[in-house]
Amino acid sequence: MAGKYEPTIVAFLCKWCSSAGSDLAGVSRMQYPPNVVPITVMCSGSVSPLYILNAFKKGADGVLVSGCHPGDCHYIKGNYFARRRIALVKELLEFIGLEPERFKMSWVSAAEGTKYTQIIKDFVDVLEPLGPQMKLRREQ
Amino acid sequence: MVNLDDLKKEAKRILQDDKVKYVVGYTRSSAGPLASPVFIEDPEKIGELIWDASCVQNLAKFLLDEKRRKGRAKKPDTRPIAIVVKGCDSRSVNVLLQEKYIERKDVFLLGVSCEDLGVVDQKKIAQRFEGKTIQDIKFDLSPELAVTTEDGTVKLPIQEVLADRCLECQANFPVVYDVLLGDKSRKKVDEPFGSLEEIESMAAPQRWEFWQEQLGKCVRCYACRSACPMCYCDECVVDTIAFAVAADTSAEEKAQKIKWIEKSPTKSENFGYHMVRAIHLAGRCIDCGECERVCPVSIPLRHLNKKLEKAAKQLFDYNAGFEPDKPALVSSFRDEDPEDFIR
Repeated sequence: MAGKYEPTIVAFLCKWCSSAGSDLAGVSRMQYPPNVVPITVMCSGSVSPLYILNAFKKGADGVLVSGCHPGDCHYIKGNYFARRRIALVKELLEFIGLEPERFKMSWVSAAEGTKYTQIIKDFVDVLEPLGPQMKLRREQ
Repeated sequence: MVNLDDLKKEAKRILQDDKVKYVVGYTRSSAGPLASPVFIEDPEKIGELIWDASCVQNLAKFLLDEKRRKGRAKKPDTRPIAIVVKGCDSRSVNVLLQEKYIERKDVFLLGVSCEDLGVVDQKKIAQRFEGKTIQDIKFDLSPELAVTTEDGTVKLPIQEVLADRCLECQANFPVVYDVLLGDKSRKKVDEPFGSLEEIESMAAPQRWEFWQEQLGKCVRCYACRSACPMCYCDECVVDTIAFAVAADTSAEEKAQKIKWIEKSPTKSENFGYHMVRAIHLAGRCIDCGECERVCPVSIPLRHLNKKLEKAAKQLFDYNAGFEPDKPALVSSFRDEDPEDFIR
């Protein structure tokens, strides 16, 4: 069937805000695309660049890293470290020629279920026309 | 102008006074025109030391070996070692100090200024004389070198065969030293990140093509890792077994360990390796160019590190190797760090 491409998104969600935000979206029965594979991490600051590269390597079409808003981090400053590190990873991914749209970061609080669904919806809309991510995917 | 006799005098003095264990410097190599590192313990042999544009290596790497040797010894000799450092090398010492990998008292720095020049790029010289056999290259402290091929000797300005990193050098004199030889005048650099422009101006698909071709050449010999003064981890994440294996480590434990990056030199693994290395060197790479120089397949590795150096400078106003007392790039933050890419 020649349908549109269904991208896979790997989302690293921090336990204290973004994961709770996605949970809120779930329990509130909000509709959003099922393309996302959520992975709960303790803090957005604990997301190693290796996780991101490996998500792409294992076939993710897009990667989302989401944490608490600045100032709201459960560990006080984990998301500030993440902000810096992710900026560097983003620069590098763009430099080697990966489409910049494939990698995103967001702040989602535990109360922002609607924002979470909107981010996923928009991300899927952006990834659909790009098709499968083959650049960093491991050859079989 | 660096006076070689002064360098020898200083080196001899610290050896005679028993201030240091040995001096690591450069000497004429029997293997080719470029200088090779030399370890001098005997003050009488100090005459072997040289300093000119052929001294390309970053000797700070030997500080890592020395630290390991000290760690293994039952009764370590705690005297410092002396190394000859150029501007870039001194910055790598600064990063090691910043990360508290070495202590300032462990090392005696004989700083030499590159002044207006720098060091040569052997590949550039070879390119200039393509098709001919270079029999000898004479270096002295003048801004010219004499290249002898089968057609005779040609004089060549060093400026024309300077290593790329020297053309973009931000510290042509040591920023940390115990003894400084030569001028402390800053060389004017118009475009500190000029070499990146060519790649940055490409569209994303072309950039991908470029890197796919370049990194596709990689044979994963890890020479870049071996030559890098910042790659001092005892266990590297790219090695298949990247955790301590003890006598009682079971086969299951070894098998269950995540292999982040496989050994095979395939496209995805090569990209993984080089990107992880670039990220791990963000804010630490001081652009000594050793990775690119030792690469047997000529991958322009410098560009990856330079790109992150540029990002660190532009986004976070961070200059690696200049401020050893400040926290490292990724273990610090400012409230005003850019977040326009975050939704």
